[in-house]
Amino acid sequence: MADSALALGPGPGAKVQPSWPEKIVARRVPCRLAALGIVTSLGSDVDANWARLCAGDQSRFRARDGFLPDRSLIVAEVQDPLPEIPTTLAAHRCRNNAMSLAALRPIEPALDRALAGIDRSRVGVVMGTSTAGAIAVEEAVGRHLARGDFPDSFHYEQAEFGGTSEFVAAHLGLAGPCYTISTACSSGARALAAARSLLSLGLCDAVVAGGTDTLCGLVTNGFTALHAVSDRITNPCSAHRSGLTLGEGSALFLLTPEEGGIQLRGVGESSEAHHMSAPDPSGRGAETAMRAALADAGVEPAAIAYLNLHGTGTPQNDSMECAAVARLFPDGVPCSSTKPIVGHALGAAGAIEAAVCWLALSHLDEGRLRPPPHRWDGVRDPELPDLPLVEAGQSISVSGEALVMTNSFGFGGNNCTLVLGVAP
Amino acid sequence: MSPEVFVKRWSAWAPDHRDEEAWRDWARAPVAPKGNAHPDVSFLPAMFRRRCNPLARLMLAAAFDGCEADAASEPRTVFASRHGSINDSLPLLEALALRKPLSPTAFSHTVHNVQAGLFSIAAENRQPSSSVSGSADTFESGFIEALTHLDRDPERDVLLVVGDHPLHAVFAPLVDEDAVSYAFALLLSRSGSGTALRFELAPRRAPASPPPWPTALEFLRWLLSSEERLETGTGPSRFVWHRARA
Repeated sequence: MADSALALGPGPGAKVQPSWPEKIVARRVPCRLAALGIVTSLGSDVDANWARLCAGDQSRFRARDGFLPDRSLIVAEVQDPLPEIPTTLAAHRCRNNAMSLAALRPIEPALDRALAGIDRSRVGVVMGTSTAGAIAVEEAVGRHLARGDFPDSFHYEQAEFGGTSEFVAAHLGLAGPCYTISTACSSGARALAAARSLLSLGLCDAVVAGGTDTLCGLVTNGFTALHAVSDRITNPCSAHRSGLTLGEGSALFLLTPEEGGIQLRGVGESSEAHHMSAPDPSGRGAETAMRAALADAGVEPAAIAYLNLHGTGTPQNDSMECAAVARLFPDGVPCSSTKPIVGHALGAAGAIEAAVCWLALSHLDEGRLRPPPHRWDGVRDPELPDLPLVEAGQSISVSGEALVMTNSFGFGGNNCTLVLGVAP
Repeated sequence: MSPEVFVKRWSAWAPDHRDEEAWRDWARAPVAPKGNAHPDVSFLPAMFRRRCNPLARLMLAAAFDGCEADAASEPRTVFASRHGSINDSLPLLEALALRKPLSPTAFSHTVHNVQAGLFSIAAENRQPSSSVSGSADTFESGFIEALTHLDRDPERDVLLVVGDHPLHAVFAPLVDEDAVSYAFALLLSRSGSGTALRFELAPRRAPASPPPWPTALEFLRWLLSSEERLETGTGPSRFVWHRARA
C-alpha cells in the first residue's frame, strides 16, 4: 500500500495480498451458520417455532379483515408483540424492521462473541426483502392522497429496499458491506448465498444475513389479483390445491468462516427467461438450480436426506417443482413444504426455510432427522409424480454427513437452492 | 482489500450522453447530467417494449451494450437500483388507498427484480441473477454483489447494471440526491484484458462531499481518467478504489 493511512489494520482474516483462490475447490472456506433468530406467525422464539413446525401446527392461521376491500383473507400473521425501534433509528421505524429487530435478539450474544477483536468494517449485512416497510409506505401514500402531505413519521428509509439492511447494520453498529437483495421469493435464500461469498472472498470475517417480509396491502391485493391466493390454508401437492397462503416474518443468521456446526454447503441458482410471474412449466429452471446446488456441495442427489420444497400450493409451482424433483431424485427424497404451517413469507421465505433446515439439523438425534411434516389433505394429484412427502412423526435415518436442501423460486424466474449440512 | 477484478467492457446512458465518445468528452470536463429521458430501445420487439418502464429501458439499453456482441445470454447479471420500480408502485399504492382492485400485470412488474427478469427474457439469459439496493451506496452494493457471483462461478463474466430514474414528484422531496435518469453497465471478469481494479473499505474521516452526479457515473469518470484512486460511499465506511498494479 502506497498510502498507509488507507490500509486496514492487520485484523483477523485481513489479507495483505488478496487474490482469487487458484481453483474452485480451494475457495471452499467453511461457512458456518453459527446462530439463528426467527420470527414467524408461530412465535418469536426459536424453540417455539421448532415445536410448532414439528407438530404441523396450523392453528396460527387466521382470517384477517382489512387487507382486501371486500372480504377477509387467511394469512399467517406475526402475532407476538414486536420490539420498539429506538428513537435514534426513528427514520427506520416500520413493522418490517421491528420484525428484523425481534429476530436479531437471539443471535446478539453469539454476535458479540464473534465481534470481539474484529474490526466492524469486517462484518457485513445482507438482507433479503420484497416489501421493505410497505405498511408505512401504504399509510403515507394514503395520507398524501387525502391531504397532500406525508406524516412526520414517514421517511424514505422505510420505503427503499436498502433501508432494510441499513437498519440492521446501524442497530448493530456494523461498518462492513451492507446491502439488500430483492429478487421476490428467492431474496432470503440469495442473501445467505451472498453472505457465504463475502466470507469466501475474504471481504468479511462475519456476516449477519437473512430475510424479512411484511404482510401488507400491496402483496395481499397483488397476489389476489393474480388469482394466486387460496381461500383455504394452502394445500401443496394436492389435487385440490388452489393457491398460496401469505405469511410474514424474519429469519436472520450469523455466518462465520469457521468449521463445525451447521454449514451452508451448497448454493445453486438459475434464471428462467420465461415469464415475469409464472414458472417455466417444464421445471427446467428449478432443476438447474437444484443440480447446481448439489454440484457446489460436491454431492450426489442420494446424499440429500430431506428437501424443503418451495411448495407454494399454486397449481403451476407444484406441478413444475414436483416434476423437477422427480427427475433429479429418481429414488425419491423425503420432502415437505412448510408453507402450510408458516405461510409464504415471500422475500423472507428463503431464509425462513433455511431456518427450518437449520433447526432440523440442530435437532439431529442419534442419526435420526425429524423434519416438519407436509401438512395437506392427502389427496394426490394424478398429474404429479408421487413424491415421498414427510408424515407427522416420521424420522429419517442419516449416516455420515447429514445434508438437507431448500428451494426458493421467485417472480422474474429467479431461482435459488441452498444445501445445509452437519458433519457426523 | 477486495480481490482484483477486470473491467472487460462498459456502457452508459444518460439524457445527453449516450455513446462512448460522449462519455469520454464528459469525463474530461464533467458537468452534472440532467433530465429524465430514457432510451427508445427500438432493438426490442414492440410488444416487449410496452412492458418496459423507463428504468427497464435504461437498464436494458446499458445491459445489451455492456455485453460482448451476440453474447447477452452468457454472463451472470447483477441489477442494482436505489429506487427500482417505486414510481410504478405509486399508482398501485393509490389504488389501495381508494380500495380499488390492482392490475395483476402492473403488480408483477413492480418487483425490484423486474428489470433483471425482463433482461433475462429479452436476452434468453438463464444464468443466475440478483437485484440489489443499497440506499445512497447502491453502486458499491451492486459491485460487491457482482464479486459474490465471481466467487461462485469464477469462469463466467458478471454483468453489473446500475441505474435509476428520477423519483416521482410525490417521493422526490424525501430524498436528497442529484436526480437524473441514467444506467451504467460493467462487464466484470476475474481474469483477462481490460482495466484491473480493486477496492477496500476504510474508516470514514471528514464527511464526504460527493460530486453532483450518481456514484456509478463518478466511477465511470474515474475509470476513464488516469487518477490512481477514487473514494466513494456515504456509509460508515468509505470505499477506496485502486487501479491494480500492472
